[in-house]
Formats: sequence, C-alpha cells, structure tokens
Amino acid sequence: MALYSYSWLILFSPLFSFVVIVFGTRMWDLLSRKSVEATATHEEKEEAEEESDIHEMKVQGPKGEDQTFLDIEDPKVPRLTPGARISAYLGIVIMALACIYSWILLLASTGVIPGFPMPAGGVPVFSYNWFTQATASYTLAFRVDNLAISMMVVVTTVSLLVQFYSQGYMERSSGYARFYAYLSLFTFSMLDITFAQNFLVIFIGWELVGLSSYLLIGFWINKRAKPDEDRLSPASASIEAFITTRIGDVGFIIGIMILFTSTGTFDFAQLATRVGTMDKALLTTAMILVFCGAIGKSAQFPLHVWLPPAMEGPTPVSALIHAATMVAAGVYMVARTFPLFAAAGPQAFEVVAWVGAFTALFAASIAMCQRDFKRVLAFSTISQLGYMFVGLGVAGSAYGPGPGMFHLFTHAFFKALLFLGAGSVLHALHHATHHEEQRMDKMGGLAAFMPITAITWLVATLSIAGFPFFAGFYSKESLIGLAFDSGHYAIWAVTLFTAGLTGFYMLRAYILAFGGKGGAWGGLWGKAELYRGEGHPHESPLTMTIPLVLLAIASVAAGYWFGIYGYLQPGASFDVGRFFADYKTWVGVVVSIAGLGVAYAIYARIEYARIHEYVESHAVLRTLHRILLNKYYMDTLYNLLIKYGVLGLSHVEQAFDMYIVDGLVNGVAQVITLFGRDLRHTETGRVQAYMIGFFGGVAVLAIVVIALVAYVK
Amino acid sequence: MLTLNHFLVLGAVLFCIGLYGAIVKRNAIAVLMGIEIMLNAVNITLVGFSLFNTAKPYSTYLTGQIFAIFIITVAAAEAAVALAMVISIYRKRSTVDVTDFDMMKW
Repeated sequence: MALYSYSWLILFSPLFSFVVIVFGTRMWDLLSRKSVEATATHEEKEEAEEESDIHEMKVQGPKGEDQTFLDIEDPKVPRLTPGARISAYLGIVIMALACIYSWILLLASTGVIPGFPMPAGGVPVFSYNWFTQATASYTLAFRVDNLAISMMVVVTTVSLLVQFYSQGYMERSSGYARFYAYLSLFTFSMLDITFAQNFLVIFIGWELVGLSSYLLIGFWINKRAKPDEDRLSPASASIEAFITTRIGDVGFIIGIMILFTSTGTFDFAQLATRVGTMDKALLTTAMILVFCGAIGKSAQFPLHVWLPPAMEGPTPVSALIHAATMVAAGVYMVARTFPLFAAAGPQAFEVVAWVGAFTALFAASIAMCQRDFKRVLAFSTISQLGYMFVGLGVAGSAYGPGPGMFHLFTHAFFKALLFLGAGSVLHALHHATHHEEQRMDKMGGLAAFMPITAITWLVATLSIAGFPFFAGFYSKESLIGLAFDSGHYAIWAVTLFTAGLTGFYMLRAYILAFGGKGGAWGGLWGKAELYRGEGHPHESPLTMTIPLVLLAIASVAAGYWFGIYGYLQPGASFDVGRFFADYKTWVGVVVSIAGLGVAYAIYARIEYARIHEYVESHAVLRTLHRILLNKYYMDTLYNLLIKYGVLGLSHVEQAFDMYIVDGLVNGVAQVITLFGRDLRHTETGRVQAYMIGFFGGVAVLAIVVIALVAYVK
Repeated sequence: MLTLNHFLVLGAVLFCIGLYGAIVKRNAIAVLMGIEIMLNAVNITLVGFSLFNTAKPYSTYLTGQIFAIFIITVAAAEAAVALAMVISIYRKRSTVDVTDFDMMKW
C-alpha cells in the first residue's frame, strides 16, 4: 500500500521541475546571457535585435556565397549557459526518478515484484477538497490503479527519452531552458490526466495539456510560414491546434455536466454505480458528447485537421505530445470511462468504433501521398489512434479496455521512435544543408550516412506495419481480429484494408528517406549517391541515438506483454495460442505484407522521379494523387466554412450591432440634439422676455387653479 | 368702512401697474421702478392681511407687518445693487435700454 500511496511523488515531480526551471535556472540562464550581450557594441546589439525579430540571418554558404534563410537557431546563443544546461539536467534527473518509480509500480502491480498486490479499485494517493456546495463536493482527487500505471509508464518513459534526446536536438535553439520548463509542465498535465479520479481533475489536466501543447507547438515563435510547402507558421499552427481541440471540449464539458446533473458526482467509481439508474438514452448522449472531447484531443475525423500543422513544433515535441502521449489522452479517457460507456446504449460504443475505423482509413489514405516527412507520421498517428478507438469500441465488457490500451502502449514506443528518428534525420539535414528540410524528395539514401537512425526506423516501420513478431503485430492484429469476432464485419474489413495501407505508406516513407533504387538489400539500404539533397549529412550525436536504440528495443518488446488484458480487466486474457492459431491473424499479416511489398516494388525498384512522372501522366492517378495530397480538401473546406459561415455570420451580427443597436442609441441622441438646436432660440437673453414667460405661466396656473376650484365645487 | 377687499384690490392694481411697467418699459431705471411698485403692492397686501386677522389678537400677530418691513429693507438693498449694475452697464455700453441687454443668450 505504501508503495502505491507515495506515487503522488511521480505526479508532482514534473511540476516541481517546472517551477524550479521557470523561476530559478531559467532566470539564471537569461541573466547570464545578458552579460554576454552587454559586451557587444551598441550598433551590433541593435542589429542583433533586428535579426531576432524576423529571425532571418545571412551566413556564408558552403561555396562562399551569401545565403539568406529563415532559421530556428538563435544567433545570440552560440553556447548553452550553465543555467540552461542545469535546467535540462534537472528535468531529466527528476523524470528519470519518476520513470524508475513508475516502472517499479508496474512490476509490483503485475506481481513480478511479489508482495504488493494492487487492491481492487486502486489506491487513492492525494485528495484535496476544493469546495463544497450544497450536496455536491468538488474534490481534486488522484488515484492510482492498473490502468493509470500502464499509462504512467508510457508517459514517464517517453518523456524521459524525449528530454534526453532534446539535449542534442535543441542544442542550438533559443529558449533551451524554456523548452525544458514546458516539457515538464506537459508531463505534469499528462500525469494529472493519468491519476485523475474524477471528471473534474481529468478536465483540468485535459486543458493543461492543451495549454502546454499550444506553448510547445508555437515554441519557435519567430518562424515564418512556408506557403510553397503548404506549411503554416508555428504561431498559427499552435492557435489552430488550441481552437480545434476546444471545439471537441465543448462536447466533453456538456457530457460531463449531463452526467453530473443526473448523478450528482464526478467520481468515476461512483458514476459507474449510479449511472445504472440514469435514463439510457440520456446516458448514451452524454457518453457520445464525452467522446467528442476525445475526438478533438485524439485528432479523430472530423477534428483531425489540427494535428498535421502541429508538426511545426520541435520534433521531440511531436514525438512526445503529438504521437505518444497527449493524443492518446482521448483513448485513455475512453478507457478510464469504459464502465460508463458499457452501461450506456450500444450506440455509444458503435460511434467510438466507427469514428475510429473511418479515421484510420481516411488518414492512412492521405498518408500515402504526403511529401513531408513528418506529415506522413502525423497522418499515421491519426490513423493508429483510430485503431485504438476501434479496439475500445468493439471490445465489449468481456475484454474491457485491454485491446485499445495494448495498442496505445505499443504505439507509444514505436511512434515515438519514428518521430525521434525523423527528428534525427531533420537535424542531420539541417546541419548538412543549413536550412530546414522536411520534404522527402530532398532525402534518399540516408541509411549510408546515418545507419543507427535507419535501422531503428526500419524496426519501427515494421512494428507499425504489423510485421510478425514486432510489437505492432500483436496489438494490431489482435485488435483487427477482435472486430471480426465481435461481429463488426464492416469495421473488420476497413481496418484490415487500412493495415495494408499502413504497410505501404510507412515503407514508402522509409525508402524515400533512407533507401532508393540501387541501394543494398534490394534498395532498402541506401547509398550515398542516392541522396537528392545538398551537403553531406552525418549521424546524430549519442544523446539522440541512445533513445532511438532504447525505443527500438521497446518497439519489439512492448508487444510481449500479453498480460495487459488481464491486468486492466480482471478475467480478460490474451490467448497467445489462439492468436497464432487464428487464421484472421495471418490474413492480417498477409495484407500488411502485401502493403509493404507494393511499396517495396514501387519505391525500391523504380527511381523516384519516374514514379512521379508516371503518376502525373495518368489522368486518374493524377487526380487521385491531387485529392490525397490535398487531404481530401478538408482544410480548404474548413477554410471556406469559416470564411463564409462563421465570418459571414459575424458580418451579419456586426451589421445588427452597427445599425440596430447603435442606431437605437444614436437615434435617441440625435432626436434630442435636433430638439435642443431649435429650442435654444427661446433663450433670448432679455430679462423682460423671461418675465413674460414667468408671469404668463403664473397667470395660466392661477386660471387653472380657479377653474379647478370652481369645477370641484 | 375700510375692508380687507380694499387693501387687496389696491395691492392687485398696484401689482399689475408695476408688472406692466417692468415688462414694457425699455429704460432700465423705469423697469426697476416697476419692480419697486410690485414689491410695495405685496407690502400693502401683507399689511392688510395682518390688520384684518381675526384668528388671533392683533398685538400677538404682527407677522405680516414685520414681513413688510423686511421687504422694504431688502428692496432698498436690491435697488442699490440694481442701480449699481445699471450704472456699470451704462459705462460699458452707453445705454440703459434693456432690449440691448441680451449678452446672456445662446
């Protein structure tokens, strides 16, 4: 018990490092930087400030010519100050301790470390009564149970590796200490969701991750948009992410309010017992509304549009927030409220499963044609999150949240690996070409330059594609099979087809970046001549490759935790023997390998330029390619919708305000002005005129009084 | 026999004469004279009411007469101030015609 009840240390340790960095070491960093700046002459200083405003620098290109480009690097920070370094070390050490503690909790609760059985219903770790009003109490309560531990392990591990990795990736970036502060804030917010015992706490964490995501996407605040590559500026991307998720949150908060008004509690355990008496249709509505929050946060159709632009943030952020943890918060929240969904009508789970299945297919098809390296991964994330929702939607109470959470668990590792590997590539290209390059047509053959990144990326590719004996194989194929077993044949067909697409787009991205026609292993392992960009890339430093290797191991090993079904739902179990004997598993494998094979046959055997030519010369293929490249014109549609719908409505409202509301007020004032303008002529300034008026008035009053007296008599 | 009505009628007639003078005369001095006549009309009315008061003994009910004395005092002060003003305006504008005194209009 004591082992579990001290886990509030895990929860609050990132908050501690956030506070220390923001108010302590970051201040130190800023102050010590100022003293460096002060040595520069006045003119130089002004110049530097101008530069930092627009973040444009001139440097000598490799051939000696002047190159002007936008850069994410801060010219004023050639070396990191001790304050910045200590900020990073503090964040990493604290996160390492939290990570170790959460792994100990995992081992203890699974029984590997004997003697610490997890009590049914979890262990409350921290509780604070915010306020009580009438019979309703608003309590900030945190609890640790098996579901929380499985998520906590993911969050702390990926967060630790990402913070370690960022030492290399963010080395030359401005605001190094600030970056670590934000990462710590994010981890705290995510753990807040993980430990939440009631909807109040989960909603607070929900908004906090939204905030930290906003801060981190817009981290390079001075970077400009790149319209020719269809890329937004980080500042606009962060606003888009914040607002789009907020749309889902409207549904979320309405759902919570329905549940609260019907049952009078926020607490998950109490809700699970009380919703039995609720009106079934109302409960179903409430749960679908709660799921809207998950749609926003987990970037499901139709609110998926924020995730691809969110890739404008630093790549470690994409790995941590927009792949492994925050976007999985929606999945975790549905898993957490699983008993409530189960108590609602079957429509609730149907909606979850269908939104997931449709999104999986939708995003996977878009990912097939994207040219931007990180954008492929972004759509792949959306697609895999769809799988998780399918897993939750079709599982039913026999399996519980196990299948969905299993895929979340494995996906967190291999998707973090994919992103960190992509970051490693971008970092290397940045050093080679001296500008930011994310287009895959400027890559190719990188395996020759950066073998560790390439091999770990290949592991992750195979894992996500569901290649046998990698982690994704177990979590994804079991999930697809489950859709069939539960009678959702249409969903099974969709997810199966998507599995093929997944194999295709992942291997395509791998070969476009790392391989190419004429490389070793039949084109999978590139040669230096295949590189289509400029300069000479190098393998990234050890701070970046160590997390890659560790995650590559996890990308295989995470799939062998078969006990997760029973761990999350007593009684449920993952039957390994049946899984291997089931023909559907192998159908899934065949489809995935077919996808991989098609990608291999096209991209490893034919030169990239020729594929492009072929697609462009074919009317049908060209149209299809254009539709997919433009993401089914969803962004365009939303832009039009906002331009004509929202802005049109605002124009109408503005007109109402201007002509009706203002017109009323100004009209009254105008009438009074007109009256006044004419009436002032009675003010002649002659005393005798006033006297006539005064005595005339008295005379009239006298006559009235006399008449009244006479009449009353 | 002298009755209250004699007093009241005299007061009313004097008041109307004064009011007429104050309104139609263009000379400022004449207007002031009209105002004096109106004040005296009021005095006559007050004294009349005081004299024919039967509710209380004559010796204990002098309010009307005391009022009249007050009005005479105030009228003297007012006449002094008003004449000073007239002289002042005359020095500035070389006229005592009240129709020209319209500086205080809009």
